[in-house]
Amino acid sequence: MNDDIKDILSNLNPGIDSATLLLYMQGKLSQEQRHEVEKLLLENDFESEAMDGLAQVKDQQGVSTVIEGLNRDLKVKTTRSRKNKRRRELKEDPLLWVALLIILLLVVLSYVIIHKQLQQG
Amino acid sequence: MIRITSYSLKLVILPNVKAEHYNHMTDADLLDRYASEGNSEWIGVLLERYTLLLFGLCMKYLKNEEEAKDAVQQIFLKVLGEAGKYKIEFFKSWLYMVAKNHCLMGLRGRQGRITREITDWLPLVADEGNISLLLQNENTYAWLEEAMKELDEKQRQCVTLFYLGKQSYFQVSEQTGFSLLQVKSYIQNGKRNLRQTIERKMKESSLKK
Repeated sequence: MNDDIKDILSNLNPGIDSATLLLYMQGKLSQEQRHEVEKLLLENDFESEAMDGLAQVKDQQGVSTVIEGLNRDLKVKTTRSRKNKRRRELKEDPLLWVALLIILLLVVLSYVIIHKQLQQG
Repeated sequence: MIRITSYSLKLVILPNVKAEHYNHMTDADLLDRYASEGNSEWIGVLLERYTLLLFGLCMKYLKNEEEAKDAVQQIFLKVLGEAGKYKIEFFKSWLYMVAKNHCLMGLRGRQGRITREITDWLPLVADEGNISLLLQNENTYAWLEEAMKELDEKQRQCVTLFYLGKQSYFQVSEQTGFSLLQVKSYIQNGKRNLRQTIERKMKESSLKK
């Protein structure tokens, strides 16, 4: 009993993986496993509140589809954000602008020199 | 058996997601990679670990699936915008605070009420310290037994069946006749009361010394 009673005070605060949480929601865990999940939920406010919310979803089987959809959108956002960042970096890079200016000047200068030499010739 | 991870959610249920390749990396590892490379895809991998929790949390407060999905996407954007600005030590706690504040602000907009913003997102290190002190204290067992006697009858019954009887909420509910919500509430409140009583006893004992 002494070891069990200490569980009331312990606060190890580990997370629970989402697959287990989904199985718990769908009632697919044994009573012993349910007890373990519930014990962890008592220690984790984030998970505990999330489970309260997930319990309100009408189509419990459809939750994983919702999560997949959200993750797909997230992937698009992170990829876009990366591309935008790269584009912004290019726009903001002063060295790039200096290099472009130098190339442009060289082209104009070459044109002038070639043009003058052709006239002299 | 139940998988428990030190860094929370692994995306085992979503096979087409690249994130599962990074299951060996902790939240802190992913944040470090993001900080060093500036590649927001690392934050994406990290956020995917918490999509289920975020959706659940938003559902709890907003009580509408479409609104909850929108809120999760807005939280994603917020995190993508904020994550690079400063060093985040405890990502999960920080994300919990960001998400909860977002929902509370949404509710405030909906109800026109003033909602308190939560800023105490850091893990309660002091609290954990207290608990480890309690667990090491030789008087804790005796105090716990005394505190159990001081508990409200319903709380004592549920706490005993849950922690000592190792029963699930459902089993406790069947035995006691309380609803599942009542069982959860009695256990949560009972546990909190026990901690408070024992901490009080510990303080009293140290004052006597």
